[in-house]
Formats: sequence, structure tokens, C-alpha cells
Amino acid sequence: MLSRIAESLYWIGRYLERADAKARVVDVHLTRIQDEPGTDQERQLRTLLAAMGVDPGDGAVTPSSVVALLAFDQDSPASITAALTAARENARGAREILSSELWEALNVTWHGLAERRMAAAVLGPQVFCYYVRERTAMTTGLISTTMVRDDGWRFLSLGVALERIDMAARMLSTPALAEGRASVLAGLLRSVGGHDTFVRVYQGAVSPANVAEFLLRDQLSPRSVAFSLAAAEALLRELDPGLDDRLGVADGARRALGRMRLALEFRSSAELLDDLPSLIESLLRLTSRTSDEVTSRYFGKSLHVRWAEEVAP
Amino acid sequence: MTAGAPGAGWLLSVKHHTGYRYAGPVFSSYNEARVTPRSDPRQRVLDATVEVSPAASLYRYVDYFGTVVTAFDVHAAHSELTVTASCVVETAPASAVEAAEDGTGWAALADPDTVDELGEYLAPTQRTTAGDELLAAAAQVRAAATPDDGARLAAGWTHTRLDYVTGSTSVHTNAVEALAEGRGVCQDFAHVTIALLRSAGVPARYVSGYLHPTADAAIGETVTGESHAWVEWWAGGWRAYDPTNDSVPGPGHVMVARGRDYDDVTPLRGIYHGGDSQALGVSVEVTRLR
Amino acid sequence: MLAGYRFGAAWDEVYTADGAPRPTYGGLHEALTAAGPEVLASLAAFLGTVFRDQGITFDHEGVERPFPLDIVPRIITAAEWDVVERGVAQRVRALEAFLDDVYGSGLVFRDGVVPRQVVVSSQHFHRQAFGIRPPNGVRVHVSGIDLVRDEQGEFRVLEDNLRTPSGVSYVVENRRALARVLPELFGGHLVRPVAGYPARLLAALRAAAPPGVDDPTIVVLTPGVHNAAYSEHTLLARQMGVQLVEGRDLSVIGNEVRIRTTRGHQRVDVIYRRVDDDFLDPVQFRADSMVGSPGLLNAARAGNVTLANAVGNGVADDKLVYTYVPDLIRYYLSEEPVLRNVETWRLDTPQNIAQVLSNLGDLVLKPVDGSGGKGIVIGPQASDEDLATLRDAVEANPRGYVAQRPVRLSTVPTLIGDQLVPRHVDLRPFAVNDGREVWVLPGGLTRVALPEGSLIVNSSQGGGSKDTWVLASPARPAEPAPDPAGGESSVLAGADLTEPEADLPAGAGAPGLGDHVDGRRPLAVPPDLGPSEPPREQQQQQQQGRTTC
Repeated sequence: MLSRIAESLYWIGRYLERADAKARVVDVHLTRIQDEPGTDQERQLRTLLAAMGVDPGDGAVTPSSVVALLAFDQDSPASITAALTAARENARGAREILSSELWEALNVTWHGLAERRMAAAVLGPQVFCYYVRERTAMTTGLISTTMVRDDGWRFLSLGVALERIDMAARMLSTPALAEGRASVLAGLLRSVGGHDTFVRVYQGAVSPANVAEFLLRDQLSPRSVAFSLAAAEALLRELDPGLDDRLGVADGARRALGRMRLALEFRSSAELLDDLPSLIESLLRLTSRTSDEVTSRYFGKSLHVRWAEEVAP
Repeated sequence: MTAGAPGAGWLLSVKHHTGYRYAGPVFSSYNEARVTPRSDPRQRVLDATVEVSPAASLYRYVDYFGTVVTAFDVHAAHSELTVTASCVVETAPASAVEAAEDGTGWAALADPDTVDELGEYLAPTQRTTAGDELLAAAAQVRAAATPDDGARLAAGWTHTRLDYVTGSTSVHTNAVEALAEGRGVCQDFAHVTIALLRSAGVPARYVSGYLHPTADAAIGETVTGESHAWVEWWAGGWRAYDPTNDSVPGPGHVMVARGRDYDDVTPLRGIYHGGDSQALGVSVEVTRLR
Repeated sequence: MLAGYRFGAAWDEVYTADGAPRPTYGGLHEALTAAGPEVLASLAAFLGTVFRDQGITFDHEGVERPFPLDIVPRIITAAEWDVVERGVAQRVRALEAFLDDVYGSGLVFRDGVVPRQVVVSSQHFHRQAFGIRPPNGVRVHVSGIDLVRDEQGEFRVLEDNLRTPSGVSYVVENRRALARVLPELFGGHLVRPVAGYPARLLAALRAAAPPGVDDPTIVVLTPGVHNAAYSEHTLLARQMGVQLVEGRDLSVIGNEVRIRTTRGHQRVDVIYRRVDDDFLDPVQFRADSMVGSPGLLNAARAGNVTLANAVGNGVADDKLVYTYVPDLIRYYLSEEPVLRNVETWRLDTPQNIAQVLSNLGDLVLKPVDGSGGKGIVIGPQASDEDLATLRDAVEANPRGYVAQRPVRLSTVPTLIGDQLVPRHVDLRPFAVNDGREVWVLPGGLTRVALPEGSLIVNSSQGGGSKDTWVLASPARPAEPAPDPAGGESSVLAGADLTEPEADLPAGAGAPGLGDHVDGRRPLAVPPDLGPSEPPREQQQQQQQGRTTC
């Protein structure tokens, strides 16, 4: 597989997952913040932006400015629009590798964004978020049903897994967990699409510790951090051509993922909650470092080189 | 040490060092060197080698103009690239060089078949485009009795018009710019003469090579030579002249490459990426062996 | 629907001057009339959406644009096509010989067929390519020869494209789209399939591999997503099953070309490059190119990689060389040209130049090194100002132009709004040379000038395209399947709705795959239908049984 194409696929995975996660966040959190008058709206919005790693700059932070930053603005690198545009651009550069259906799905999604933004201006951001969630779900389905399970699929899936860890950590960093109110915790669960499952598993016992445990290490929930860590580990193992684990894991990226997974599995749920801030920071560091290691190992530098001419007598 | 027998050619050994030095490390570079002489009626090449540092595998081919090209690429980080070309060449005696048969007249040069055959050496290039001054001079060349007379006039005109000043121009200078400066190096003398000849309808080409600096060189003594350039024109056959020295090339001239102008015969040309490049000073050592 | 159909001096391919459809178009005329204008207009809109969604676009000045497909196909009969096919193949064979000559022995000059000056003064004669002999002798792996039909309906050659001709993906996609949207149009026509093109190209590229390479690694080299034909590059790579690479994916080390993969370097043997000569190798051409890869040309010279098409083919596209092509056909092949050129004048003598300059308003002036319709001035449609500018340009550089008789390109009905109106068309058939045979794709790209009266069909200047149907002659033998990688092609060809009935596998005798496909015999095992009802009944009975205890 061409390094450049592998890198594109990896980023398609990341952008798709990012768009989906952001659409959930905007949908659930913004609605909640808007619906709860009396709470310190601006502070909450600022916390949300901080969790997403967005600097709001100077000036007031309002629900509409947050929607612009996280959803609509092409120029805001943190926006859903930017993520889907980047996904489509990467797909455009890898079209001969993607299935026609997958390419078409990404292309159509991108073409439809402008129209949904206009609709959202009238009907509210939910229209836009709904569209994005529906399209990403469809695209993910096509990945699952049309992509050959080769290294290309593995790089794409790796992108999805790492992004999912990253977004989960960011969601856990919002004060929702600390506040502990049931409605807020439910919103948090909804924003990762895990509310119904949680209710079944914990019989409705919504406590910060339960929520943290569920989001961090439920072995069966595909949206838990531990699940994605295990997935990323397995994918890296399959990607490693000269694999030999007899004397331990040589691949630094895989070792780091495994250590983190064990750290989550063997903590008590109370410890999980207590250590949360440092865990979140470690998780964010971990995804970023893993991404760098995968990049330098598999993607090489496919840079455009600017050559200079030289002449000597 | 004694001079060789009169009338016999010379045996010359030439060592040509060239290359680049870089401000920062260079990771990759691709180059082509045109530094290897070929045998022709005026010279016999007994040995020719090219060495490159850092080491690279060399690929050799003959280009459109019949020049031997040495191509190589370097992919290890380096801050200096050097090319050393060495050759041993037997040159013809001066008398043999000068004894060109009588040239054709102007009418033969205007023959459509000749114009078509030699069109590449009649059309101006970017470096040999004539300005007003050259066009006026070309009219005088054209007025000479024969193309050979005209060509000698052209070379003489250039020799008078330009002062030889090392470093006064760059490898990118063209004929008009050199004339405006009023000075130049052998490359500029050749370009101006060629521009003049072509404007007058005489097919002309650029020759690059090496020059032993002394006419009666001592045998066995290694001296500093030149990486040199001169011209050839066509008047029923090709004949050579060295406008820088206003003389017919002699046994001290070693021909390496011919082309329409300098761009076709550049000794070392390439591309790289990395720090800024600066051409190393070129040095040529020549030894008359016989 | 045809109310506004006006006839001009051009040859109309569908209707005779009295408004009756020509025999070839009878069926199509009926189908179009039956569908009616509203249906056609909405289907045309649907076609547009399909193309947009699939990303079948070209990039023009940084904007992705569709290349609109008109809903009315253009039909070429078997007899007409026979002339085109023979003519195009003949031309390619002669131009192959010419290129081999000018980059080698130069006999064509010695024998006085073409002046040396014509070649050495061409912008696209690349001395860097001199002496490079491709492995199987082929330089023109792919060509697109632009044809027009003149006022009498005769096909004439307008120009040759032997560098990196584009448009073949539209031929394939147009057919697929039209068959999907308007299958009823195809009824009763035996249209020859075009889907086999990628397999043919792949076979030709494999045949061009360096000697000793039995299973070559082939790649398509694209300048990148912003190239006008990027969408075509992806289609060809995907359908050939080869990698689409950019210059930055390649590295040439010691004259060997490699691609950078996630499992290290992989050697490349054949490059179908869609990067222009000038940008292909910064060592030899433009040093500022960022879309090529340094060292490619010497790798080809050393025989380690094959570049398809070869470097330097552009000299044969030069419009001045074009004027010599009939002579080249006679010289190299000892044949008479099957297809005539359009009447063209060289500006090579003072008399010719003067004559052309005094008739500028009646002529078409073309830059000799242009492509894509760039710089062409159509005298009868030009303003006085344009003509004055042109006059200066021609006087300054007569070698840079040729003059042509303005041909009124033939017209075909085209849907504009809900009206069918005549619009001018040309035809670019594509030929693939595998070294044994020059194969001409039965179809080609019909480009149509959409503005009324316009003769400029280029996509960058408001052109659209039409599906081009070449009819099979009833006596024609089945299409020979291209040998290597034939699997994909036969699948594609099989999917083509328009394959002549005669080519389908016959299903007599023992049950074969064809029987099931044809629906003549059901498969022995029916599909599972879901959980069945009876268990519930049984449960009820047991309950009844218990209550009786």
C-alpha cells in the first residue's frame, strides 16, 4: 500500500469519527445548555470549547458562535464542515483504492453540507447534526460492507479507533461528570451514543463513577476507551510485517496502548474517578504520540520536494 | 625537459575538479556531468574517467549532440559534492588543425538544403540572440569575400570588443549582456561570436573543452589549465576558432562537447534539495606527457 | 420538441434537410419522441446529479466542474466506423514510425519527406529523449485523434494527440450513465461495448514492460487532485487495478524507480504517466516541477522503466507536422491515407504568409503547439480587434501558426432546456497500441459545443459530451477478449446492457451458469425465508393439554 494512500485512509477514519462525535456533542450539549436557562451559559460553552481544544479568541461566546466554530465554519479547523471536507479531500486523493460507493458517500455528504447549513439557519443546528450523523453512519456502514480487509482498511480503522479514544477523553473532561446531575450525565452518555446500553448494564444507576467506568472500560461497548484501545492494538499488530511477540512487544506504539488498556482494566471504579484528570491527560497524550509514531513508521515523508537547480563550470 | 618534435601532436593529461558546497546538509541530488572528451579526427582519447564524492553509481550515455554524459544521484546527506574528471588525450599538431580545405562561398550557405540541415546552428538561442550592435557588425561579416573570411572577422571583432576579465560575468550571462559589460570570460567570447556568425547566416556552434595555457609547454610539468570554450563554424566543413585567444585551436586544446550554446554542454548541472548551493571553484590541472 | 430545429450549412447527422430522420436514427427518433420533452429534461437533470455524486468532474482553474452529458446519443454505423477505425490505426502506425525516426536515425529528413527544420524548431521536440528506444518499440501507447465531419458528412482529421490525451473516462462513464438512466433508448440497437478499454490499456502497458519482467508492476502517475483530468486518472487506475501515484510517491535511485509503501520500497516497471513532459523529470525539464520525479528519463533510457506515453511525442502533435502526416503515411506505410486532413496551409514562404494574412477573416488560425483549443482564432467569428492582434502575432512568428479552412462541424440534436436543437460536435476516437496491433475503442468521445452556433467543443470552454454509439454490423464476429487481466473486462463488458445478443453465452444442453443468469432454471436450494410459524401452534396445544389435568 502506498504510504501516501495509507495516510489518507488513516485520516479519513479520523475525520469521519471526529465529524460524527462532534455532531453528537453539538446536538446534545448545546441543546442542553440552551434549554437550561439560569445556568451560567457562557461558562459552560467555554468549557465545551476548551474540551474540544478550541480557542474561542476574544469576544463573547454565544451558542451560535460555538455552533459556527464546532459545526459550520469551513475556516475553523475544529468544525464538522472542516472535518468532512478534509475527509472528502483525502478520499479524492485515494479514489482508486476506495470502493466507488464509499467515495460517492463521502462526496455526496460533502456536497450536501451547504444546503443543511442553510436549513439549520432556520430550523436550528439539530438539522445539520442529524444529517451529519446519518451520513457518517451510512459511510461507516459502507466501510464495513464494501472495503476489503487489507492494510488500507486497517489504517482507516486505526484512525477511527484513535479518534474515538481522543474524543471520549475530551468528553470526560467536561465538568458534567463532576457536577453529577443525572440529566447532565444522561446527556454525556447520549453524546457518545451509549445511554441506552448504560441503562441496561447499570439498571439505571446513574452515578459519576458508573458513567466514568462505562465510558472508560466497558469491554463490550464499542464506544468505550478500552474497547478502542484493544482495537487499535490489534490493528497495529496486524499491520506489523515482521511480527514476533515471543520476547515482548517491540512496537513502541502498541506497547503504550496495551499499558494504558491494562491501567484502565485493573483500577477500581473509585480509583478511575479519582484519577480521572490525569487519565484524561494521559489518553490525549497517548493518541497524539501513537499518531506520530504511526506516521513516522508507515507514512514516511511523502512531501512535495522543491528542487533547486545548480550549475558548475 | 624538451619540447616535442615539431609537427607532432601532444599527449595531454587533464584533471578537472568541479562541484558544489552547501550551506546546510543536502539529502538528495541528481546531476549530469559533460566532462568526458570523445575521439574525433583532431584528437584521440586514450583514457577518460569520472569520479564522484560522495560515492555514487555512475550512468553513462551519449546525448543528442554526441557528448558523453555521466549521470549520477546521491542520497546520503552531504555538504559538499565533488566531481573529478581525468583524461589522457592525444591532440593533433597545429599544422593539421589549420589545414582546413577551402571553404564554400556565401551562395552555398544559402542553399535551402544546407539551411534546413544546419538550422539548429543558424537559429538564435536565448544566449545568442543579437542586439542592434551585433546586427550592425553582422552586416560587415556578411560583406567579407568568403564565409571563412567573415568568420575570422567576427572572431577578431569579438576579441577587440570584449576584455577578458575573470569573474566579470556569470554562467547565466548572454551575448547582449556581455557586450554591454564590454568584458567577459571565454563563454561570453564564444556566445558573442556565435551570435554574430548566425546573424550573418553562417552556421556556428559552441565548443567546450580544456586548454593548456602555454604554446610551447614543457613535457612532464603539471600546470594550471583552463576549462575553456571556443567556436566552430560551417563553410563546407566545420572549422574551429578560439575568439578568446584570437587564434586557431592548437595541440593545447582538448575538445569535450559541442552544442548550440553553453546550455547544451554545461560541464555539471543538476538539482538537489537541502541547503543553499555554491559552486566550488573549478580547477583544471594539465600535464603535457609528450 | 423539434419545433425550433433549424438547419444550417453544416451536415446534420440525424435529420436530412427536409426534416426526416436518417435511417440509422429512426429508432432513436421514435424513442425520444415517445419520451417527450418533460421526461427528457428531468432525466437530464438526474444524469447531472449522478455525475456530480460520483465526482465525475474536471478541474478548471481550481473549481470542480461537471462535463455535462447530453441525453441524445450520437450514432455511427458499422460502415462509417470501419473507415474511422482503419484511418485512425493507420495514422497511429505512421506516427509511431515517424517518432522512432526523429528520435533515432532521421531517415525522414535524409529522404526529404519532412524538413529537419520543422522538427527541430518544434516546442515539443525534446532532444533529451533522443536515442531512447522503448522496450517493445511503442511510444504511442494511447492516442486520441480528433475528427470532425465536414459539410458532406466525411470524417476529416483535425489534430493528433499523442502526448497524454484525456477524455476516455467520459466514454466509459457516459455509456454506463445513459444505460442506467435511459435503457429504453438502447432497444433495437446493437451498440458495441466500450467498457473493455481499461483492460486493453492494461494489456498494452504489460506488453511494454522492460525485457525480462514477466509480471510488471504498473502505476498511473497523476499530477494530483487538482489536475483537470484527475477523475479520469482515478477511474483508469481503479479499473486496471493498479496504484495511482503522485510524483512524491516515487523515488529514482540508481536508475531504478520505486514507490514508497507502508512495507518499504517497491520497484515499478511501467508508468502510465499523465504528467506532461515539461513537468515529468526536473533533472531534464523544468527544475521547478513539483509533480514529477527526478531521474525518470534516465531510468527509461537505461531500460529499467517504461514511460507510457514516451517522452517527446508532442512533436507529432505539432500542427505544422500535421500538415505532413499524409506524406508520412505514404512514406512509412506505402498506403494512401484513409482519412483526409482538413485543408491546411503552412506559413512557410513569404507568398503563403501574405496570402493568409490577406484572408485572415475567412480562415481559422491555430497555434502549432496548442492543445485544448487554446489560442485558436476563427476568422469569420472574430472581431476586427482580435484579427489585428492575430495579424501582429502571425507576422512576428509565422512558424507558430497554421491556417485552416473553417469547417462547419456536423450537428446533432442536443437537449437545451426542453428543446432539441442542432449543436456542433467533433469526435475523439482513442487508440491503444500494444506493439502488435493498434486497437481503436469503438466509440470515442463526442464533444458538443453547447452555445448556439459555437464551434468550440473543449470542456474548458463550455463544451459537453454525448454518448457515442458505434453499431455492430450483423456480420461482425464477437469481440475478441483481451488476454491478460481479461477477467475484469469481461465482467464489465457483460454488465453492459448493449452487448449484442449474439455475444451472450448460449444456454442449450446441460445446466450451466448462463441458465441461472438468464432465469431459465431456478437454483436447486431456495433461500431461507425466516422463522416459520408452526412452533407457536405447538405451544398452544401443550398449554391446552395442561389445563385438562
